[in-house]
Amino acid sequence: MTDLTAPAHPIHAGVSDAGATARTAAARRRRRRGKPNPLTYVGLVAASLFAIIPLLWGLSTSFKSESATLSDSGWIPAQFTFENYRLVLFESKIPVYLGNTLLVAGLTVVATIIVAIFGAYAAARFRFRGKTASMFLILMTSMIPGIAILVPLYFIAVNLGLYDSYAIMVIVYTAWQIPTVIWMLKGFFESIPDSIEEAGRVDGASHWRVMTKLIFPLAVPGVAAAAVISFIYVWNDFLIASTLISTDERRLVAVGLYNYLSQYGVVWGQLTAAVVVTVIPIILVFVLMERRIVAGLSAGATKG
Amino acid sequence: MATVVHHPAETKRPPVRQTPPPPPAPPTPSSARRRKAAANAPAGLAWGLILPSIVVVAIVSIFPIAYAINLSLHETSYMQVGEFIGFENFLPIFTTGEGLGQIGLSLVYVIGSLLLAVPLSLGLANLLNQQVAFRRVFRVLILLPWVVSQTVAALLWKWLVNPDYGPLGLGELGGNRVDFLADPVLAMVLLIVVNVWISYPLATILCLASLQTIPEELKEAAEVDGAGPFRRFMQVTLPLMKPTLFVVAIQLTLLYFNMVTLVYTLTGGGPLGGTNLLSLGAFKESFEFFNLGLGAAYSVVLFAFNVIFGAAYIRLLRSDKS
Repeated sequence: MTDLTAPAHPIHAGVSDAGATARTAAARRRRRRGKPNPLTYVGLVAASLFAIIPLLWGLSTSFKSESATLSDSGWIPAQFTFENYRLVLFESKIPVYLGNTLLVAGLTVVATIIVAIFGAYAAARFRFRGKTASMFLILMTSMIPGIAILVPLYFIAVNLGLYDSYAIMVIVYTAWQIPTVIWMLKGFFESIPDSIEEAGRVDGASHWRVMTKLIFPLAVPGVAAAAVISFIYVWNDFLIASTLISTDERRLVAVGLYNYLSQYGVVWGQLTAAVVVTVIPIILVFVLMERRIVAGLSAGATKG
Repeated sequence: MATVVHHPAETKRPPVRQTPPPPPAPPTPSSARRRKAAANAPAGLAWGLILPSIVVVAIVSIFPIAYAINLSLHETSYMQVGEFIGFENFLPIFTTGEGLGQIGLSLVYVIGSLLLAVPLSLGLANLLNQQVAFRRVFRVLILLPWVVSQTVAALLWKWLVNPDYGPLGLGELGGNRVDFLADPVLAMVLLIVVNVWISYPLATILCLASLQTIPEELKEAAEVDGAGPFRRFMQVTLPLMKPTLFVVAIQLTLLYFNMVTLVYTLTGGGPLGGTNLLSLGAFKESFEFFNLGLGAAYSVVLFAFNVIFGAAYIRLLRSDKS
């Protein structure tokens, strides 16, 4: 089946393979199956278009002057202008919102991982009375609709004096991400064989040392995937950021963008430039981490 | 797993592909071993590790939902909680045409989105798992909407289907001006499409991750036995992916039922209440009209839907396993 005249696509080698085993497996697969069906490419191109057309249209609009947005309906602007970007970057609060979001999302990721990694480890490795009940309790909270508890959270925030602070956002996001992250990391820990811990314990290491020095480093791929998922969640949230924060200086991007709309009316050029500016950082995170996400998830999180 | 390249831990972890597991039901042997290893763990340590998680979710999720349930049973006026009135706040939801309409629209929205998103994610994951040229590029492009927030998605799509200026706006069609946001049915269609657009990537990633855990040997064995691609998919891939598909279905269902931001920013519930979902009712009653009791009642109904659907999936998954 192998077509020797057509060398395998050069990017293959770099795309998928970890160790030698994976490489031979991939090579075997290629040899056996030959080239993918052309219909595969049709499907992939169609899906890519569906995915990026709204973004491309936004990008195109962001380079048009405000009057051109309503006359020039081409995908490539007849006249490029950077005026929209100048206004967004230097005369709006969008950079402030971006900084806030980076701070809150970063703190949330750190807090979530620190709290959840221990819980996940205990759930994966130890047997103790009340384990089933406590896991049930934690996982069931992901069924609580965020919208349902916004009013109570508002009261709690006001009573604790945390209303309109970064802290309340970090606390709420952390709590909301904990069930997902525990569940992902638990699956990941379960995929690490017990023999490693047994070996560590034979060598006389304590439970704590075995856990932090031997097992946690092995869980880095799973932690990375969980971290990205939590980060993107915070980056995109609107509800908490809009109800628990009132000071403009502490707004997050999703809310800031929406306010941009109400503040300036529908100015598509500026709005789409703002969208592009706010979407670029998160796209970078995603592109850099894409392989790790799939790899980290495949170990554990996909189990039922 | 095969996709992590530079991580040193990767070499230490046993290559999953090499230890052919007893495929469909791996948990029994390993959990037996785990029980042995777990037996000598001090209970204090285990509790100490899990307690912080419990405390955080108790304060931020469990106490508030109890508070919301309590609130839904009381009379309220603005921020003041009045006397106990039983289920009176629930009457507008279950006895008026508007309330029942919201329940119906929510079901249309959730089920319609699921019927599109789940097969789409499954299909795309299978395409993206093949050895195609530019695979990395396709993956990044196709998964990209994941990082677009609901607010941004609403803005971009509104602009895209703008009847006068948007490239996907249909403008005049057969003498009628087609405006997606002015027709209740079209608005629901648009809402579902945009909803699928923002939610299929994460589902695809989960499916893709699950696909990569399926040992290639199994598919090859089926191929040797003469199974074509379709039969291989139906009889090897799909059964092994079932647990993941349930997880995906649960996550999407919860996400869709509770969706506020997208609905609020794309259609605002209109036109003519055509996209007025339960979740939006909860948000508007609480934060626009300050009927906290009624808003809490909507929330409790949503919560009930989440629990019912979640429990149903878990039951299906369990009965499937046994």
